Amino acid sequence: MAEETEAAAATLGAGASGKTWRRRDRGATAGLLSGPLLWLILFFVAPVLFIAAYSVGAVGIFPTDAGVVSLEAWRRFLGGGVYMSLFWKSIRMSLTVSIAVVLLAYPVGYFLALGVRKRKYVLLLLIIAPFLTSYLLRVLAWKVILGDAGVLNSFLSWSHVRGPDEPITWLLYSQFAVMLVLAYVWVPFVALPIFVSLDNMDRSYLEAAGDLGAGRLRTFVRVTLPLSLPGVVAAFLFVFIPTIGEFVTPLLVGGTSGYMYGNAIQDLFTRGTAWQTGSVLALFLLGVVAVLMALFGRFLQARSVTA
Amino acid sequence: MEAAASRSALAFLRLFFIGLVVFLYLPIAILAIFSFNAGDVSFPLEGFTTQWYERFLSNPTLFRALERSAIVALCSSTIAVTLGVLAAFVLVRRRFVGKPAASALFFSPLVVPYVVFGVSLLVLFTALDKILAESTGYFIGLGLHSVVIGHVVVSLPYTILTIMPLLERLSISLEEAAQDLGAGPWERFRRVTLPLLAPALVSSFLIAFTLSFDEFAIASFLSGTQATWPVYLFAQLRVPSQLPQLVAVSSVIFFASLLLVLTAEIVRRITAKRYGEAYASRGLA
Repeated sequence: MAEETEAAAATLGAGASGKTWRRRDRGATAGLLSGPLLWLILFFVAPVLFIAAYSVGAVGIFPTDAGVVSLEAWRRFLGGGVYMSLFWKSIRMSLTVSIAVVLLAYPVGYFLALGVRKRKYVLLLLIIAPFLTSYLLRVLAWKVILGDAGVLNSFLSWSHVRGPDEPITWLLYSQFAVMLVLAYVWVPFVALPIFVSLDNMDRSYLEAAGDLGAGRLRTFVRVTLPLSLPGVVAAFLFVFIPTIGEFVTPLLVGGTSGYMYGNAIQDLFTRGTAWQTGSVLALFLLGVVAVLMALFGRFLQARSVTA
Repeated sequence: MEAAASRSALAFLRLFFIGLVVFLYLPIAILAIFSFNAGDVSFPLEGFTTQWYERFLSNPTLFRALERSAIVALCSSTIAVTLGVLAAFVLVRRRFVGKPAASALFFSPLVVPYVVFGVSLLVLFTALDKILAESTGYFIGLGLHSVVIGHVVVSLPYTILTIMPLLERLSISLEEAAQDLGAGPWERFRRVTLPLLAPALVSSFLIAFTLSFDEFAIASFLSGTQATWPVYLFAQLRVPSQLPQLVAVSSVIFFASLLLVLTAEIVRRITAKRYGEAYASRGLA
């Protein structure tokens, strides 16, 4: 992302109608930069550094905090146990959701990019619009639908498919509910990068493949899919990375079996004063995200989403 | 088109598309239907009523929460757009030492989980309050101000991302011409750049506003006793008797936001037709 902007600025600045001022106006630059930079340093970098210090005991707030600098909290966490297995559980769930979401969104992206001639952007908007409404309300809608006395179960008993005392109980407050709702929330968002990468594909490749004797399926597997892969990977990461730390959906529809890593962090900070353990967990999550970004960040050019 | 999919494949894709659209809008439709239901939010339907709408319209706590969210969203969006313009300007128009690092910093909130924002700011504010209380006896506490701070952090990347493309497209020769005519840097910015940036400023404001209004994760940690709308909604979900009212107000919000999306798209098309495709950004950012 930064390299892109830098390169663009450099090439454009070289010409007569450049996009950057050639005269160095350092004072003004520093002045302009200071506002946003200061805000992020004060309210993003500093808090993160603070919880890092907290996690090793360098700072403490409550009387119960050790007050001694040690890696004991980290050792306890990394050595396995409840929180570690919760982390892996969240990874598993996020992986499942992300794969499901990509599998659902790909046909939509393909259809809109390559199967529709007129009105493709209207139809795209139709798919994306729900994502632009309230996240919380969309989760609420499912909570209302999946409950024991909810829309679905009451419909089943009213239509005599099941008895009134036999609701399907695993619909709500389960891992299933969490993954279903997360998939529902993310599918609209994920359709966009997949659509963009398919839409940007040069159609003549398809014709060329056909001219060379490939059938449609072969063309798809050997040409379309590989070319759309960057968009697919970007879409996958867009869902996977935020979902690892997700706690709102599990809080509403997860119950005890749908409890995720993010919920543990929330509980540690809001119930009781085990803030040092909470800091360890939060920092670990941040570290995992940072590693994922370092490994796969090149797929996430912001431009692929904003088209 | 023929090379991309056979007739039957196309029919399947079309069916799949319709199915997915139904899947996406069905829960919203169900909420809307049950918001008019005289009984509980379950089958059988018991008759048409508007009582839930009337109830929530005369619910002062609910409105206070909506009000708080509006205030927070207004403040955080204004700050985020202002800071975003500054950052975008510097990223697009200036070269400086450490630009890649600054750029990375500006965009990193996009990938950080909100729970990390929430807890880290909670810890920082609590620690600061403790120091303040111990030294002066006063403390600030958590409230709407802390939520605003958190929301600016997460909105900033979006405002920068929305403003940057338009800024890049605007030729610098306009600013150079203004300078040749004697305008100083602030006047150049105020009378040339800023008006031309107006569409991006408006859309980035709207993006930041909707993000903040609906934001629950960070607000749940930082709002203290001043519950914003999502925090209030969450608390009310535990009270079954409140559910029909919540369903009603949710339907209103859904309808309003869908309308907003539609309006934004229509405005974008009009702008594109009037000023040329290069002026209106393509896409939904």
